[in-house]
Parts: sequence; C-alpha cells; structure tokens
Amino acid sequence: MLELTLRKTLRDFSLEVYMEVRPGRIMALMGDNGAGKSTILNMVAGLISPDSGSISINGTIICDTAHGISLPVEKRRIGYVLQNPAVFPHMSVRENIAYGPKAEGLSRDVISARVDHWLEKLEIRDLAQVKAGNLSGGQRQRVALARALATEPSLLMLDEPFTALDADSMQSVKKYIRTFVTEMKIPCLIVTHRVLDSKEIGDQACIMSRGKMEWVGNPSDFPLCSCRDVTVTS
Amino acid sequence: MSSKTTKPNAIIILSMICSLLLIFAFAAGCTSGTTTTPAATTPVAATPVETAVPVSTVAAAITTEVPAQAAVTVTSTPTPVYTASEGDLVVYTAASLTGASSALGKAFEAAYPGHKVIFNLAGTQTLKEQVEAGAYADVFISASNKYTTALKQENYFINSSVKTLCYNYIVVITPKDNPGNIQSLSDLGKTGKMLAIGTKEVPVGIATNAVIDNLANSTYGQDWKNAVYANVKSYETAEPGVANKVALGEVDAGFVYESTYKAASAGTYNVLTISKKDNYLQTYSIGVLREGTNKDVANEFEQFMLSSVGQGILSDYGFTPAV
Amino acid sequence: MNRPIVNAGKFQRPLTTIIAAVLIITVTFYLAVPVLALFFRTTPELFLESLQNPEVLSALWLSIFTSVISLVIVLLVGTPFAYFHSRNQYPGRMLVDTIIDLPLVLPPAVAGVALLLLYGRSGLVGKYLSMFGISIAFTTLAVIIAQIFVASPFYLRQAKSLFEQLDPAYEKTALTLGASPLRIFATITLPLTAGGLVSGAVMTFGRALGEFGATLMFAGNLPGVTQTMPLAVYVGMQGELNVGITVSILLVIISFAIMIAIRILAKKEVRNA
Repeated sequence: MLELTLRKTLRDFSLEVYMEVRPGRIMALMGDNGAGKSTILNMVAGLISPDSGSISINGTIICDTAHGISLPVEKRRIGYVLQNPAVFPHMSVRENIAYGPKAEGLSRDVISARVDHWLEKLEIRDLAQVKAGNLSGGQRQRVALARALATEPSLLMLDEPFTALDADSMQSVKKYIRTFVTEMKIPCLIVTHRVLDSKEIGDQACIMSRGKMEWVGNPSDFPLCSCRDVTVTS
Repeated sequence: MSSKTTKPNAIIILSMICSLLLIFAFAAGCTSGTTTTPAATTPVAATPVETAVPVSTVAAAITTEVPAQAAVTVTSTPTPVYTASEGDLVVYTAASLTGASSALGKAFEAAYPGHKVIFNLAGTQTLKEQVEAGAYADVFISASNKYTTALKQENYFINSSVKTLCYNYIVVITPKDNPGNIQSLSDLGKTGKMLAIGTKEVPVGIATNAVIDNLANSTYGQDWKNAVYANVKSYETAEPGVANKVALGEVDAGFVYESTYKAASAGTYNVLTISKKDNYLQTYSIGVLREGTNKDVANEFEQFMLSSVGQGILSDYGFTPAV
Repeated sequence: MNRPIVNAGKFQRPLTTIIAAVLIITVTFYLAVPVLALFFRTTPELFLESLQNPEVLSALWLSIFTSVISLVIVLLVGTPFAYFHSRNQYPGRMLVDTIIDLPLVLPPAVAGVALLLLYGRSGLVGKYLSMFGISIAFTTLAVIIAQIFVASPFYLRQAKSLFEQLDPAYEKTALTLGASPLRIFATITLPLTAGGLVSGAVMTFGRALGEFGATLMFAGNLPGVTQTMPLAVYVGMQGELNVGITVSILLVIISFAIMIAIRILAKKEVRNA
C-alpha cells in the first residue's frame, strides 16, 4: 500500500497532495500540463525532495521530512517508467532487463530466470538480443516495463505511457499493466491527461490543477468528454 | 553505359588537374619574390593530418618561441616569409642585440627618415636556417664567425660588404640574491648547483664551451669541467634564454655575454668576470645579403652601424666597439 | 532541404561534383604533402643511422613516457571533474567554464612563463617547495606539468560537452532500478560517451606530444631529462639536420599510428546514440 503526503513550492504555485493507493489498485493522476503530476512521481521516486511530507510503501517509510528520513533513489525499490522509455541504447534487450537484478547482486541463474520470465510476459522474447537503440517506440516501452518489473518493485509508476502509442499497442500495454499489478499485488500510479485512458485503466483517479487536488474518486463517476480540459465542480 | 561512365571519370580527372593547379598556384604565390634554395628543409611540425592543433602549435612554437624566450617583449617577426615594402629594411639580428635593437632602430630612422627598420631577432643559427630556407632579409648581423663564414661561403652575403661590427666577451652571472652562493668560478663545479648555458649550436653556447675548455686547461682541470657540465640543467636555444633563467632566479648561474650584463639595470645580476686569456672573443659581423632588393638602404644601415652613433649605442649596451 | 553534396554514382550535378572533389583533394594535399616532404629529405640508411643516436632515443622515450602519463592523469582527474561540473549548478560554475578554456588561448610560451613564476625556485609556490627540498623546474615532472596544462582543455571541454548532452533520463532510470552512482557511471555514462571521450583523449595526447614552448620555458632543454621530441627537432634543425628530420619522422609515425589505432578501436564499438 502506498501512502503519501507531500508539499512543495514550485515556480508558479505550491503543490499539495495526499493519497492512498492499495496493492493491486491503479491510481490515475490527471490534470493539465504543469499541474505537478510528474513532480509527484519524481518525489516518490526520490529524484526530487519535497519541502515537507512523508511517503511509505507497505509500512516502510521511504521519506519523512519531519524525522529527516529520505531513502536514496536506488534503495526505494520503485519501478518507474518514464514518458520517454529511456532504454539503454547500447545494451541488448536482455541486458536492459537484467540491469536492475544485476545491480542488486543476484546470482546469474536468478537473473537469467527473471529476464526470461519478463521477456515471456511482455511477449518480446524474439527481441532478446536486439540492441535497444534499434527498437521502435512501442517495443521500447515494453522493454522499459519489463526492466522496471524485473526488480520486483513494491510500487509501479508510469508517466504518460499511452501518448505515443497506436491503438493496438495501447490495448496491450493496458492489459499488461493491469495483469502485473494484480499478480504482483503492488500499487500503481499512472500519470495521464487522457480521460478515456483513466476510465479504462484506473481504479481511482485524481484530478490536479495548479498543484492542488481538485477531485478524487472513481473515474467512472465523471462524464466522458473528448475535450482536454476537465472542468471541476467543487 | 560506356558514355555514362566515361563522363564521370573525365570529371574526376578534370577536378584532380584543377586542384593540382590550384595548389601550385597557391604555393607559387606564397613564395613569390624569394628564390627557394634547395639547401635545407624548413623545420616543420611532424604531426599527421588528423590533429590540426598540434601541428600549428609546434610550427608556431618553432617560429615564434625562440624570440619569445626573453621575458621582455621582443621586437621580432615570427614568420620570415615576407618581402619588405619599399623603404622598409629587414635586419636579421643575433638575439644578443635584443636590448640594443630598438635604440639602434630609432636612431637610424631619425638619421634616415622614411626608412623603417624591422629586426628579426633569434639565435644566429636559427636565422641562418631561415635565410637558407629562402626567407627574405636585407642585412644580417651574425654573432659568430662560424656562421658568418658559412654564409659567405654559401654566397648569401655580398662578401665585400661583410665587416666586423663589435666584440663581446663571456661572463658568468648569478641572480642578485645569489641563491647558489657562487663566489668564484670554481664554485660552478660544486655538486648541486644549477646552471644554464646555450646549446652547442647557438653562438653563446659555442663561446661558453670554448671558455670552459680554456678555464679547465689553464686553471681548474678536467674534473671541474665535467662537474660544471653535470650541473647544467638547461641548454637554451638563444642567449636571452640563459639571462632570463638567471634573472628569474631559477638557476644559480649562467654563461652570457658581457653586453647582457652591462646593459641590464644595476643590481639585476652579480658578475664573475673571466680573464681575457681564458675568454672567447666573440666577433659580431654585419653584412648585406645578396638577395635583398633594398641594397642602397642596406648599405646606409651598415654604415650607420659602423659610424660613431651606431658604435656608441652598441657600447652603451655593453658591446666592445669594433672601431 | 537536404541535398547531398556529392551523390556518389549519379554525377547528375557535375559542377558540384567538381567543386567537392577539388576541395577534398586540395585540403588533403595541403595537409599531407608537407608531412611527406619529410620522408623525401632523408634516406632509409641515414634514418636508421640517426636512430642509433642516444639523443634521438632518449627524446623518443621521454616524449612517449611523459605524454602517456599526462594523458592518464588528465583522464583520471578530468573525467570525474567534467562529470560533476556538467551535472551540477554550483556558484562560480561559469567562471570555471571560462578558466578551463584559458590554456587554449594562451600562447604556450606564456603558459611556460606562468608555470615558471609559480613553481620555479623563486616562484610563488615554488619557494616554499624548495624549502622542503622539492624542485620542479628543469625536471621531467615539469615536462608533465606543462603538458597537462596546455593539453587538458581539449579533453575537459569534450568530456564536459558530452556529459551535458547525455540525456539525464538514462542515469535517473538506472537509479530507480537500484544501481549505485558508481555503477551507473561505469555501465551507462561512460559507454554512452566513450566515442567522444576517446576522440578528446586522442587530441589531448597529440597536443601533449607536440608541446614545445611551455616545455622549453618551464622545464628547460636537457637531453634525457627534459628534451622531448619537439625540442629535439628544433635543436637538431640548427645543427644536425639528420637528427632533426629523423625525430620529425618519428613524431609523424607515432602520431599517425596512434590516430589510426584509435579510429579502428572506436569503429569496433558499435555505437547507437
């Protein structure tokens, strides 16, 4: 379970969020650009520090400004897939997926098993030896997802995973996310600005505007609209 | 098919001819006015195509760095490949005349208005190399009989114009606070002392080696001579280089010209003189170069240098006048 | 609009092709012919004879030894420096940026004077060092110091620029995957910048190998101790021509060999940006 309370003063406004995401549940973070959604993910990952707040996953405190606790990024066990998948272009798909487990110091057999497992799960077995720099956008995203999950994280975060994909890829990605999150019983945060996607994949949704949470609830509760900005009734 | 392939081949051949013509035209243009003698190769930087910077650095170093050894600003022209404009005189001058050169130039220009003097100052051996490689000069002042004779034999000088300009002797100088505590010539052989002298090609180096030889034979012995050479920490390629290392206090002593010591401001150096019988008479010669196009002005300059005015200035700067 | 200058095999634009060919050939000849002239000026017998000259051999050894050490120091110290400098905004960063470029615009002789006035026996720092019996000027150490001073900007600028251009997303992602900063540097940062770093290292080595003015001023000219190949060339050309030409040829061969070796090695690294 992910519990977080975070405050940070940004350039134009101050960010203030608090949320709980249960294991196996997907929270869709929505709002227009600049509302602070990616900042939240970065703070949870540990790449940015909050001004004040706390984060805990499954009871383990990752960050607590009041007590001066802040786990370094590499110790937080969080799977984070960026908008631009950032697969390591000089390594093969196999080496990419093996990166996290290798850094952890696991044995060669364990690493091999995990890599095979995730290659299978994301249906990219035939790409195993391909240099990641030669992959298409959709393929890269799968590799990034496999790579993140191979570390067996306690939380999965994705930043705008759907924007650059075609309809088919999008469906498979959504299917993957749902399957893995449920199987691995981990909470999941997805940043997206697309209402349709949040309805399809989100168990909960939170709409942010200028750093403040304007609306939280079940995405099926707000009307479908194809326009980008979501008007909020307070 | 054949016509298509012969046309492109013709284009390639045409372009190669064009570029070769371009290169020759460029090369010819650059050396116009100077007859290139095949006597010596111009010192070039030896680095390959790919690294442009090291090439230019070493090339620049070879042509600029020798005069720039003097810590004072030196009126020297880096690249000796140019033809003086009408009225300008190009004088290749031994580096030991660096201090005197600006006074000499001003006095000449005052006496003969309309003629600017450009001095190219470097070790005599360097200047000789440059002239042999085709560099342009009107007048040549050599610090060593060895190089004067060579230039006469190689027909660069108009031999009848070659005259003795002045004389110089060798002295030993130490920095003003004498960090090595050199009190006598025999101290030069003590272990741990640091000395600077000229290379065996530069006139001051030739003279220094002769003086050390004489001193060893007459007074101090071969062991002293070996000890002195063991104490040499740097062979400088021009005389001001030695003087500067001493002035900066970086060496304990150096062998330089008497003129350098006399011309320096009081208190810069301490001096140890060497008796005339052990010393080396450095003969400076001046002559007009055959390839120069400014012969009238060149002769005027030579006469000026040999006149009481010129000799007076040389004397002020510590040289022993010829006349 | 993207028009290829030379459309190999098509020759549809003869004028452009001619101009391109002329330019390429002219530039290549301009750079190559003077170097070739060196080889024509001596004979193999004279060359081999000069190689026996102890001054030639000591200059050769000294040059290679000092340039390699200078390069290694620049790589070991410069790489982390460039990395931290490029990844952090610290006060005075712009000043440091400018200072890195300083040796590039300084004439080598000036650099030599500056080093002498600092580390020489009477220098600002040197005079304290000499109290402990440490002297730097006129030693092989001085040669290395001079080489590092003039050559390091080539590597530092290159490394700095490469690290700045490297998308931080790679390193951040690697962090989230649990890799320590050191591991990230070795497995992600360096491999992705290796090609450029190598080219910077090659330039640095070349500059160090060819260094003359600062060396002469600060380290002096003493065969076996401070007389590097460029100095030997200069001194040789004033007296023993054959020595000068032989050392010049050696410099050409060494530099060329290194360049080619590096290019081949770099090609082997299959790089995707």
